[in-house]
Amino acid sequence: MLQDLLGALGLASIYLLFALGMSLTWGTIDILNFSHGSIFMFSAFTAHLLIPYVPMGFVGVALVCIVVGALMSLLVQVVAFEQIIKRARNRNTAERQILIGGIGVAIIPLAIAQEVTKSNPFGFIDSGFEVTTWTFMGLRGTNILLITLTAAAALAVGTAMWLRRSRHGLALRSIGVDSEVSAMMGVDRRRLAIVTMAVSGGLAGLAACLFTYTLGAITPESGDTLLIKAFACIILGGVGSTGGVVLGSVLLAVTETVVLTRTSGLWVEAVAFGLIFLVLLVKPSGLFGRKEVRRT
Amino acid sequence: MSDFYAANLVLIQSTFIGILLAVSVQVPMRAGVFSFAGAGSYGIGAYVSAILVLKTGMPSLLAILMSGIVAMVVGLLLGLLVAHLGGLYLAMATVSFDLIVSVLAINGGDLTGGVTGLFGVLSDVTIFHLIGLALLGIVGVALTERGRVGRRVDAVRDDPELAQSVGISVRRYRLAAFVVSGLLGSVAGSLNSLVRSTISPSDIGFSLIVLALTMIIVGGAQSWKGAVLGAVIFTWLPPLLAGFGQLQHVVYGVIVATAAIFVPGGLYGIYSEARYRRTRAKRKTPQREAPAHEQALAISVPNGDAGRSA
Amino acid sequence: MDWTAVRLGRRGAVAVVAAAALGMSACSSSSGTSSTSAAAGGGLPATINVVSINPQTGPAAFAGLAANKGYDLAIKEINDSKFLGSTTLTLSKVDTKGDIKTAASSASTAIADKNVSAIFGSVSSQEAIAMSPLVQQAGLPTIYTQAGSDGVVVGDATYRATPLMRTYYSLVKKYVQEKGWKSVGIIHTAAAPTLVDIGTKALPAIATELGMTVTTTVAVQGTTQDFAAPISQVLASKPDGVAILLVGAQNPTAMKQLRQAGYTGDVLGNSGASAGNLKPAGADGAGMVWPVDFNFQQKAEASQKFVKAYQAANSGENPLNYAAEAYDAAWFLAKSIKAAGSADRAKIKTAMATVASEKFDGALGNGLTWKDRDIVVPGVMIRWDGTGDVLLYEGSAS
Repeated sequence: MLQDLLGALGLASIYLLFALGMSLTWGTIDILNFSHGSIFMFSAFTAHLLIPYVPMGFVGVALVCIVVGALMSLLVQVVAFEQIIKRARNRNTAERQILIGGIGVAIIPLAIAQEVTKSNPFGFIDSGFEVTTWTFMGLRGTNILLITLTAAAALAVGTAMWLRRSRHGLALRSIGVDSEVSAMMGVDRRRLAIVTMAVSGGLAGLAACLFTYTLGAITPESGDTLLIKAFACIILGGVGSTGGVVLGSVLLAVTETVVLTRTSGLWVEAVAFGLIFLVLLVKPSGLFGRKEVRRT
Repeated sequence: MSDFYAANLVLIQSTFIGILLAVSVQVPMRAGVFSFAGAGSYGIGAYVSAILVLKTGMPSLLAILMSGIVAMVVGLLLGLLVAHLGGLYLAMATVSFDLIVSVLAINGGDLTGGVTGLFGVLSDVTIFHLIGLALLGIVGVALTERGRVGRRVDAVRDDPELAQSVGISVRRYRLAAFVVSGLLGSVAGSLNSLVRSTISPSDIGFSLIVLALTMIIVGGAQSWKGAVLGAVIFTWLPPLLAGFGQLQHVVYGVIVATAAIFVPGGLYGIYSEARYRRTRAKRKTPQREAPAHEQALAISVPNGDAGRSA
Repeated sequence: MDWTAVRLGRRGAVAVVAAAALGMSACSSSSGTSSTSAAAGGGLPATINVVSINPQTGPAAFAGLAANKGYDLAIKEINDSKFLGSTTLTLSKVDTKGDIKTAASSASTAIADKNVSAIFGSVSSQEAIAMSPLVQQAGLPTIYTQAGSDGVVVGDATYRATPLMRTYYSLVKKYVQEKGWKSVGIIHTAAAPTLVDIGTKALPAIATELGMTVTTTVAVQGTTQDFAAPISQVLASKPDGVAILLVGAQNPTAMKQLRQAGYTGDVLGNSGASAGNLKPAGADGAGMVWPVDFNFQQKAEASQKFVKAYQAANSGENPLNYAAEAYDAAWFLAKSIKAAGSADRAKIKTAMATVASEKFDGALGNGLTWKDRDIVVPGVMIRWDGTGDVLLYEGSAS
């Protein structure tokens, strides 16, 4: 029972790292990035390709994933999303086109990875980092589990504090409230958006690294599965709230684990979808959602 | 001609089914309702008619009708449940509805055939049925784009508060959008099951939503003509892309992304905007502002904070 | 009355009439179902065309591509050895891209093309199910490989050169008896009907036969990526052995997590873990065993002949079972064409029934037979040792 809880926390950490990136851009610069899952997968894929040629160890793999994730998000922002925003007549059209654009862009890394791996699983074998198991008071864990929990906690706290305390965070939140006024106050929306997207991509990359080490192998399609779960976490917790994403991730992971162990295991998918639907029906702003950090 | 027809029969059938699917997502969008429930209705129609024909030997048209009724009722219920949502939140809610339908299909045991789905659904659906039903759908939708109904729908989309204040029941039009979308999607799904003789959960998953979306984005979301254009393009494009060999998926993604970025009104949007500019240039005297429905060339969704609509 | 509606109504009426006219003209001149092929007089024409409709891209690509290699090898041999006299067999390959509609559409195209005498159907069950009604109705001889669900072999035009897993899974009996297992815990995916069958019917039946108890059975989904919870559930029931019946990438993850959970014994698996799918698990993957219809190390003479020919044609690469199945499928077709003495679809179909009643030796082993248009093979038991397949023992032809 306690072992299951530990496993659920590990799962929650992965969801959190992945969803944090999406929540960051959605909650501040109004960009719902549908290519987040593809970027996540592709950063792990790049590391996988490089491992035979460059001895890396854990830090090396993590760095590669983070950098690739950040670069890809940056590219998507500059090449696709900025262009859409420039041409859109109003915010709602922009939102919709960004959604579609993200979907279209996501197909490209997916196709490349599928072509190279023939949809076979790939991982970080021979990277110089081994997953080891330990037992403590009857509970079993792995070193990667510890790293994941620590990373997720640190980054969640770090992001929340960055948004709340730093000047950049303040600027980001002001864009969310009123972008025109904030531009008048000297906030460079374009630069901040790029930085935010890059950070979000870096988070996706880190999540990919930890995810792949935890599972041992992923497939090109792994990113898309997580995308829907990330929505559930964000909507459950409330868009724009870091604490909300944390709570949403934990709730989703725990519920899924309970359903998996108590029922035949076929209804696990329904948990994510059902939760999204339920929350939207009852309290669309989520548990911690703050309506004021949204469009005016 | 007949060789072409025989060789490409499946594609021709898919075109008409695609038209109905695209229109089922376009109709609510035009009314300002950002709903993807058409894909879920497709799933409902596909499975209900397959089950009816397989288990009871019901004639095809009756099965299509019955599943249409089921989908319309579900659509109405869904519309009532999400009436307070708008924008992206509504979109997400309808996406989760669609995915719940596919989970139900997987977990339906022997009734839905589980993960494999159902096969051996033999029916007497001919190309005439497909053409006829598609045309019926288009004519019905086209009628709502003209005259008084058309203007009211545009009003509901562009300025719901104003529409409400002049006596147009915004709520009723939005609910109607859900019901119509349910019917159209369901007919498309039914036809697909009956013509393919199989249906499986993978047919109605997330990729269906993406397909419908790309059809209307590239074709044009403001009119049924855009939906038809998009359906034709995305049915016939993949076989044409086969020549690219291994790059074809990449090319597909580039096309969709480019269309989303550079052509927000879709191909039909380009055409109608060009036509509008031409007619304006022809006029010598300064005119009053162009009618509302010609001006709103890009669809916009009503504002709302935290998903609540005006 | 709104005159725009009237105008639309008239335009609409014209459109309907035009469409009907188009449809009727197309209908009346469309070709019949079973067509005669290019052969003018009796005997075989100079070339006979066959089409392989398989996924070359997408999740099942590795199986489709391997099958195509098997077809290529067989057809080259058939032509080089002049098995059909001066007639050449030509193979064209169509990619279904893992899309059911594309598969059905390609089947329709092949049916309409009078020069196509037979097709090799898709390895994917979903695609095969969509193709079978079409080809059966048109009487186009179709031989599938893999595609193990119901609704694939539907009539006298459809054959499957891959045995159903439940027909050879009983090979594990010898292994389980040697290990002395008295109980087994099962984790299986709900996403593949074959594995659902093994996990819920075939394996429990084998267990009953051997006096074993099934302690727990857990079903997971195709999208499940983390197996820690099901594994702890199964291990909590303290079985002697564990069976893990999953597809693709789920196998290395489950093996890793199983070892992390403290289970070090061998694991009953399925051939979905083959073709190097377990490599990412490294040393944790060692100890998974499974029965499969073919492995390149099996000793039957005809199998080794195939393996050597394949290695020669593919730069020393070892053939997978998909290639062996395709190879035997192609030779089966060639024999049927020879027996029919014609490239006509109906005649080939009749000849296939005759040829299928004879025992033969092929890449899949000695003493192969067909039962209800499904092939029956002896099969082999494989153990993955972390880097490669080890042949444990072979079955005997039933």
